[in-house]
Amino acid sequence: MSIVAEAGDVVTAILSQDPWEMKTAFKTNGMWLFSLILTFVGGFAAVALYRVVPFLERHLERGISVLMYLIIAWIIFSGVVDRFVFSRQVPWSTTIPPYLFMIMAWFGCAYNVKLRTHLSFNEFRMKMARPMQMFALSVDAVLWTGFCWIVVSTTLLIAANSADNFAIVAGTDDMMQWWFIATMPLAFTLMAGRVIGNWMIDWANFRSGDVLIQQAVIGADV
Amino acid sequence: MTDGTLITLISVGVTFLFMMGVPVLLVIFYWVVGCSFVTGLPLLNAGSELLNVFKNGFALLAMPLFILTGDLINQSGIARRLSDFAYSCLGWLRGGLAMAAIGACGLFAAISGSNSATTATIGSMLHPEMVKGGYDERFSAATAAAGGTVGIIIPPSIIFIVYGFLMSLPISDLFIAGIVPGALMVLAMMVACFIICTINGWGILIRLSFIRVLKTAIGAWLGFFAIGLVLWGIYTGKFSPTEAAGVTVGFCIVVGLASFPLNKIMGSDADTPVEDKSVLSMFVVEGFTLFSIPRIVSRSAQITGILAPLIAVSVVMQQQLSDLGAKEVIGGFVMGMGGYYAVLFTSMIIVFFSGMVLESLPVTIILAPILAPIAASVGIDPIHFSVIFLVGASIGFITPPYGLNLYVASGVTGVPYFRLLRYTVPYLAALLGVWILVALVPDLALMLLPNR
Repeated sequence: MSIVAEAGDVVTAILSQDPWEMKTAFKTNGMWLFSLILTFVGGFAAVALYRVVPFLERHLERGISVLMYLIIAWIIFSGVVDRFVFSRQVPWSTTIPPYLFMIMAWFGCAYNVKLRTHLSFNEFRMKMARPMQMFALSVDAVLWTGFCWIVVSTTLLIAANSADNFAIVAGTDDMMQWWFIATMPLAFTLMAGRVIGNWMIDWANFRSGDVLIQQAVIGADV
Repeated sequence: MTDGTLITLISVGVTFLFMMGVPVLLVIFYWVVGCSFVTGLPLLNAGSELLNVFKNGFALLAMPLFILTGDLINQSGIARRLSDFAYSCLGWLRGGLAMAAIGACGLFAAISGSNSATTATIGSMLHPEMVKGGYDERFSAATAAAGGTVGIIIPPSIIFIVYGFLMSLPISDLFIAGIVPGALMVLAMMVACFIICTINGWGILIRLSFIRVLKTAIGAWLGFFAIGLVLWGIYTGKFSPTEAAGVTVGFCIVVGLASFPLNKIMGSDADTPVEDKSVLSMFVVEGFTLFSIPRIVSRSAQITGILAPLIAVSVVMQQQLSDLGAKEVIGGFVMGMGGYYAVLFTSMIIVFFSGMVLESLPVTIILAPILAPIAASVGIDPIHFSVIFLVGASIGFITPPYGLNLYVASGVTGVPYFRLLRYTVPYLAALLGVWILVALVPDLALMLLPNR
């Protein structure tokens, strides 16, 4: 079967909403083609969404990260209070926070892509000629997109596997693990959107003669 | 082409990417991807590990919470009070303000667990005052950078959490083992600072006043309480480190919210000199409003969004290295050096040079699982080795070319990176001295652990 046909099967499996069918289809090579298209289409859709709703452009990933942060802090803090004051503790107080941490980490990662604050050794890049700087920024964009593509592809399969196994979060009665896992491909699709958006800005700056690389400062935007 | 040649080429390629300024996260990830193709390991493995690191990492949750604690104590004004206290104790000495900056780093580190947060907070707070006080701006920036290194040694510490998580060691024991070496690092840097400032005649001396010390100590009571809460909870086993972090966050939020209206009623602000403040007003810090919490958390979320993914890809890299047999190769090399001291110092040299080119988290995640078992096999106590390893990793924060604290200090003070390098040398020497001392005297790390 050709890779295009396999990618078509992936779409059919998703539409069927049957985890077993999805799991089977996601294991084929067609999944790589499908997830590549999904990463790009999702990324461009995110760019379009940010243009239409600038509020989301500023706050989407950051808002999700902050919300997760506060929920984690609250669950752990109240868990300790519960134990000391009421001599009890809800069983999921140590099992749900790690999933929320995962969401916070990857949405936060996407936000840092937007701000270009991921740790890097920029000393040589700052001293490069403009065309070389543009080349380096394009290399970044390609590498980030590849990263997103791989993670979207693999985590979709993991989510389908988890759904097929009816894996439940420990300490809960009916909270499915895949609900949380499915946020990973979403975070990486949004990350792809940030990569595309950044590259478009870089290209515009390159053509207009504006500064291409600026020293990023952590926390400067808050 | 053999697998070894291909992996060497991949390693050279990603090093080139690193030098080109590609983010470290991507450099590590693509090394993993390249090696996966060579070894035939499915990429699904990488994807699932990026998820599992968090899914199975309740202990790791202490990291974001201690980062948030750092931001909360900074915004609430507690950090300022701690630095005021340090200055009132040390301001009568030559270089007192610079020494106070290092002391404040130590106190801040005892509540927060992050080196960069320590450098950023103390650097942005005291750098302008140091420059105003006649210190060279490069020295001032270097002081903030060096002071921040204790951020991950004095408990609580993000990197001890990661180390304990990886090596299945009790994080509370690691925290306690870091207390004395962390204090020694502070002391050694203060001595270095005193010598440099005396030689250059930097700093304006203030009179040592018992009243001022007492007043600022009262002003810093909330900071001391938070330090005591963390240490008591962990030391007595009442909380796990993650819970201690959650409790400290809760404490800081309650204090911040309660202090804001009280401080308004008292009418004092952060800029009022200590002498002009009433003793009563010293009990209350500036605080913050409910509406400013998202802004504070947002900054912490940004830092977590940098560090947590880096931990995840480093774990994947460590697994890849393990599959490639790096443990056996490095192990054979280190063991070939001889017995206890040879293994100890070879490990230290490896950590030191790795710290020069990598961030401390990847250094820890990649090297600790390789070096720690070798150290244990020659009789080095695992907790002692963890402290040696992490003091070395913390020194990496001020060693070029990749010294994270140097970047942070440069960012918050505006002093260009390369210009502050020279002034880190005395601090580096002091820290290396402490490192060797801690390596040679295990009791420095183990004395507070009665069961060891």
